[in-house]
Amino acid sequence: MDAPLFPPATDFVQPRRLPQRLSAAQTPIAILKTIPQAWAIVTREIPGMDRRVGSDQIRPHLNNFSLESLLPFGAVPRDAVARIDSQFLALGMEW
Amino acid sequence: MTAGTALVSLGQGKTASAAATSRSAGSDGRAISFDDDWRFHRGEGQGFEALGLNDTTWRRVDLPHDWSVEDIPGGQPPDQLGPFDKHALGGNATGFTVGGEGWYRKRFRVDDYPAEAMIEILFGGAYLETDVWLNGRHIGGNVHGYIPFAFDLTPALNRKGDNVLAVRVRNLGRNTRWYAGSGLYRQVTLDVLPASTRIARWGVASWTRRIEGGRAEIDITTRIEGARADMGLVTRLRDENGAVIAEAVAPVDAEVSQALVVRGPRLWSPESPALYTLETELRQAGRTIDRTEQPFGIRIVTFDPHRGVAINGTPIKLNGGCIHHDNGLLGARAFADADERRIRLLKARGFNAVRSSHNPSAASLRSVCDRLGMLLIEEAFDVWHESKEPQDFATQFRAHWQDVISAMVLPARNSPSVIMWSIGNEIPSRATDEGVHWAWTLANAVKKLDPTRPVTAGLNGVLGAEMIAGAATVRPGMAGKRDNASTIFLDVPGYNYRLEEMQREFARHPERVVYASETFPKNMFDYAELSRHEPSFLGEFVWTAMDYIGEAGIGAQAQLKTGSPPFYIAGWPWVNAWCGDLDLLGYQKAQSLARDVAWGLSPLEMAVQRPVPEGMFEWVSAWGWSDELESWSWTGSEGKPLAVRLYSSADRVALLLNGEPVGERNLAPGDKMRAELRIPYAAGVLEAIAYRGSAEVARRRLETVGGAARLRLLPERHRIESSRQSLAFVPIEVQDKAGRRLPDDQRRIRLNVIGAAEIIAFGSADPIGTGSLQTPETQTFRGRAMAILRSQGEPGAVRIEARSEGLPVASTTIKLV
Repeated sequence: MDAPLFPPATDFVQPRRLPQRLSAAQTPIAILKTIPQAWAIVTREIPGMDRRVGSDQIRPHLNNFSLESLLPFGAVPRDAVARIDSQFLALGMEW
Repeated sequence: MTAGTALVSLGQGKTASAAATSRSAGSDGRAISFDDDWRFHRGEGQGFEALGLNDTTWRRVDLPHDWSVEDIPGGQPPDQLGPFDKHALGGNATGFTVGGEGWYRKRFRVDDYPAEAMIEILFGGAYLETDVWLNGRHIGGNVHGYIPFAFDLTPALNRKGDNVLAVRVRNLGRNTRWYAGSGLYRQVTLDVLPASTRIARWGVASWTRRIEGGRAEIDITTRIEGARADMGLVTRLRDENGAVIAEAVAPVDAEVSQALVVRGPRLWSPESPALYTLETELRQAGRTIDRTEQPFGIRIVTFDPHRGVAINGTPIKLNGGCIHHDNGLLGARAFADADERRIRLLKARGFNAVRSSHNPSAASLRSVCDRLGMLLIEEAFDVWHESKEPQDFATQFRAHWQDVISAMVLPARNSPSVIMWSIGNEIPSRATDEGVHWAWTLANAVKKLDPTRPVTAGLNGVLGAEMIAGAATVRPGMAGKRDNASTIFLDVPGYNYRLEEMQREFARHPERVVYASETFPKNMFDYAELSRHEPSFLGEFVWTAMDYIGEAGIGAQAQLKTGSPPFYIAGWPWVNAWCGDLDLLGYQKAQSLARDVAWGLSPLEMAVQRPVPEGMFEWVSAWGWSDELESWSWTGSEGKPLAVRLYSSADRVALLLNGEPVGERNLAPGDKMRAELRIPYAAGVLEAIAYRGSAEVARRRLETVGGAARLRLLPERHRIESSRQSLAFVPIEVQDKAGRRLPDDQRRIRLNVIGAAEIIAFGSADPIGTGSLQTPETQTFRGRAMAILRSQGEPGAVRIEARSEGLPVASTTIKLV
């Protein structure tokens, strides 16, 4: 049995980012906030959303969290997230 | 030490300290303890580095030390209780403890050392911003709270007279999300080294390249500073009896590569942590110039999606827990005895892996993991370029990330327990272009120092946009393939609280090998099930294995009025996290009983939910667990239905109350090994029985206890070493006359300690701050308290007496040998 090796890479070239459709599951909240049509959907379905994601604890993570990824923490209602995702799909936007 | 050689000679039995010291690592001239006989001043000061300062009024301390766990000077109840301050800047994050500034001074002489020797000091870690002066001259500083750092004392040394080392430590601002402690909380050592040529600090890199045909092949690379052509390097592996089982000799260069072959090796694994000693000797003309030795375990760890993680070819699942660095009542003080105790406690609960959250661990913890067989994930950062707290390490990251990576990897790369290097936890903006670049930078900096272990990180939320990288940039085999921004430069992604997403991703990314780097306790049965069925899932690391000070109340539960929003913020006076499987003293909480079942240690466990008054409901945080106790003593609840929770891997569970059947349940897979029966309370004996088919497989029993009749001291060991680093853990229970612990008792206890040890911590597992952790008086919680005593450094005996109003005095004696 040989031990595995994890050799360092030689050269950094910024990876090519592939376009993603807007979704409640995958789009970071920080990105949603930069798209007025998207954020309007969010705040309509979850009133007070700005306040919910405005705390010192959550604000640093808005680039990491999507709406759906907040569900385990009880921060957003599941049915609202589902409705938002449907409306995102209808928007047909990418990020 | 090899007979006939002459090393850098030390005076017989002498150390750098004026007082007798305790221990060294065994390599002559290296790792001389410098822990004892410091002077400490808590507070700001000017000129405290001056050689001539009169520090005789300063308090004497022996390291490790942590002032954040000490009583606040002049503290005023009710807003200041012991070390806890309602208005502490850190708030919940630091468990309402405070930082500030502290100064340490130590006098020493070096006349016993050779005049030409080079002398270095190594700090195991200090929190947080540290500056060091020798004889009034600033010699260096450090800004990361969890890495070792060393300075050359030689240029500023007074070879013939007194020397004074002064250290200023500042823990200022909001710089941490958990209790960090303050001061010189890890050990300090001196190295007396040859003047011109030596084995570089942490310069030995060794790894097992191959195990085959009853042989192990080990590669070693050694860095030499000041290499000379007339020198030779001898590398040996010794077994536990000291016998040399492999040896290699090579001429010296700046970097020397050697190989050892071991026939019939004893392999290291969590079940069988066999250790050898790797000895490195620099020799010249028949003399040993410098020498180091360190433990070494022969093992190969592999990761692949078909077998998961395997140790020496045997697949295992990681039964892991996240741990913070603090040692509960001791604060951040890194005593080897305390680190060993908690690893033993975790092993007893079936844990085989810990994640050092979110910082590199102390050498003492790593050493214990090596010796006892606990796999370890070392972690470098909680933030990169963007902060989570305003004054956290993000303010220093760009200037000092390389120091942290080096200081994490180099000292630990020979430890067999270390299986992965984590470059970060829940890093903000990790999936932005800048974040992705940092991930590449950090991962490859790690791999340049140690290409033998995979790189990981704890990832929360979403994994970011899909992206594709080229061959020169990405990991081998991934060129041109889709990956996510957060995972593209990780060999083994760790997922924090991503149970549902993880299960969806297995099909989309079958090449990935993943683990759950942080989990909620409530999901333990889900992860156990996933472990059984998904080979590419390596296992879980619960948040957390053990309670810790700080992140106060993250695991809280509360009883709220029916109709209230299901929401509760635990503020003051919560001081500890209350999310661990084990409480602050190391005892099992109800979630740990459930995990005993989930992990196959027990077929049946039982706990009872604390009665919820009518008109109220129990709210439990995401990281918490219902307020369940191993108790059938609920005075005042007679006739009321209580929720009895049974955790079992069996098919059916039944309850008897005072010998009469009162309920039973069949368990289906969807029940996740849990059954709840509501039983009207009546005092007596509640017994649970588990059945597989018709066969009884286990019983558990809870009895109604009587009133408090006595205190009982239960030292974990009646004999301890007398060295100054030795600790005695003395649990105290409130018992009824039948010797049963009162499971929910709170009362004041006072200790009297006479003899060769001193109390350095006394408290309970109560997540609510009730006062000092360092006076001889405390309040029990759930019928328990714990005293931790420290040897005064001499053999003898210590007698401990415990008193509580209305109860007879209890006592015990511990011998120090």
